[in-house]
Amino acid sequence: MKGLILKDLYMMKKYCKAYLLITVVFIAVSFASSENLFFVFYPCLLCGMIPVNLLAYDERSGWFQYSETMPYTKGQIVSGKYLIGLGTQMAVLLILGISQTIRMSISGTFILGEYLALMMLLLIMALVASSITLPFMFKLGVEKGRMAYYIMIGVVCAGSIISSNLLSSGFQAEIKLNGILPIICIVGIGIYALSWYLSIVFYRNREI
Amino acid sequence: MNALELKNVSKSFSGFRLDNVSITLPSGCIMGLIGENGAGKSTTIKLILDMLHKDSGTITILGRDNEKDISLTKEDVGVVMDEVGIPECLTAKQVGKIMKHTFRNWDDAEYARLLQKLSLPDNKQFKDFSRGMKMKLGIAVAMSHGAKLLLLDEPTSGLDPVVRDEVVEMFYDFTRDESHSILISSHIVSDLERLCDYVAFLHKGKLLLCEEKDELLSEYGIIHCTVEQLSELGKVKYKKETPYGAEVIVSRRDAPDGFQLSPISIEELFVFMVKEAR
Repeated sequence: MKGLILKDLYMMKKYCKAYLLITVVFIAVSFASSENLFFVFYPCLLCGMIPVNLLAYDERSGWFQYSETMPYTKGQIVSGKYLIGLGTQMAVLLILGISQTIRMSISGTFILGEYLALMMLLLIMALVASSITLPFMFKLGVEKGRMAYYIMIGVVCAGSIISSNLLSSGFQAEIKLNGILPIICIVGIGIYALSWYLSIVFYRNREI
Repeated sequence: MNALELKNVSKSFSGFRLDNVSITLPSGCIMGLIGENGAGKSTTIKLILDMLHKDSGTITILGRDNEKDISLTKEDVGVVMDEVGIPECLTAKQVGKIMKHTFRNWDDAEYARLLQKLSLPDNKQFKDFSRGMKMKLGIAVAMSHGAKLLLLDEPTSGLDPVVRDEVVEMFYDFTRDESHSILISSHIVSDLERLCDYVAFLHKGKLLLCEEKDELLSEYGIIHCTVEQLSELGKVKYKKETPYGAEVIVSRRDAPDGFQLSPISIEELFVFMVKEAR
């Protein structure tokens, strides 16, 4: 599977430079606009879509068909995309985690509970973005799967607005105390795992 | 051992059926899969690689069932499809690095040698390659990981005559090792005629013929005569009447005296058989 991941890294280097730029710009803006968490959530959402975009490039170049002539199982082809997605999402989470620690420390608003709540929300955001879209892409192909992408954007944007309101209105401590966020976080990871499994099943049955 | 065996393989789509195809390719041989566009050549190759799931029949690659551990079997199979699906942004050098982590027996030195032999640049992006160069890169990849069987789907299309000749020569060299075999599909029959030990004709999903080339060529001959002379010929395999006369394919054993029997080419035989099947 190393070859598949290396291929995706080459493609990311070529096609995904803009994502890095947007992440940096949005982090910078989040320092100035600390009330609005959209600037923190958006890079997460965006990076969650990297595997989806890589799939679109793969379909256009005929890589799907070509990779099936190589000694990879369909499970490995799918898993390559999920791993590359997980890798980029974790990298962005790390960058956001560090930047938000700095932002909160500078403004003197660092509260561990609030920070952890924010990080959990970011994790959910990153995982859910690709979780919803990838199985559709693997089952239907990129063109039809795009419909799922638009639905997902709507869901996540609505989620981001609600989460943003919850956090900024001081509910985060209560949420944390109630233990809801960790549960949502575990559910998010579960959805990601389920999505991974479904994608393998869908792709196994798909004839290219 | 046979490199490839297909027994009664069928696959249906809406509007097309590959029907009961049986092919045997012995090790060390080259088989040409000849057919018009849409005859089922690519479908056959995809079924062999289990990219399409057959409805019935059995397929054995290098002695292994193609549905068991096909990813392991693919280590020993080099494939060139009609479209080489390498991502546009990659260079030949990057493709080499990817394949090194893909195939256990990847041979960097052989890949570098083939890139040089085929005049392929190391650092040019795939999107800037001509169709012929793309095909050549696909061939270089297929021949750089110690494959024992090459499955080639229209590998010479898009190549100019000089390069086509070089590539055909490379395929020929590949089978000098007795454990190496090739299944090659094309509608450029002249390439196959030169290269192949066996030929298989496909027409609308049906296998019209699968035989040793030299046997075919020695078995049949072609007679040019007038339409009136047709009745004197007796047993005729295939015939074509035109306003200027008739062309008839007959078995050399059944050829009557008094007619000049010319050697037949695989292309002529294929065209006759397909027209007859229509």
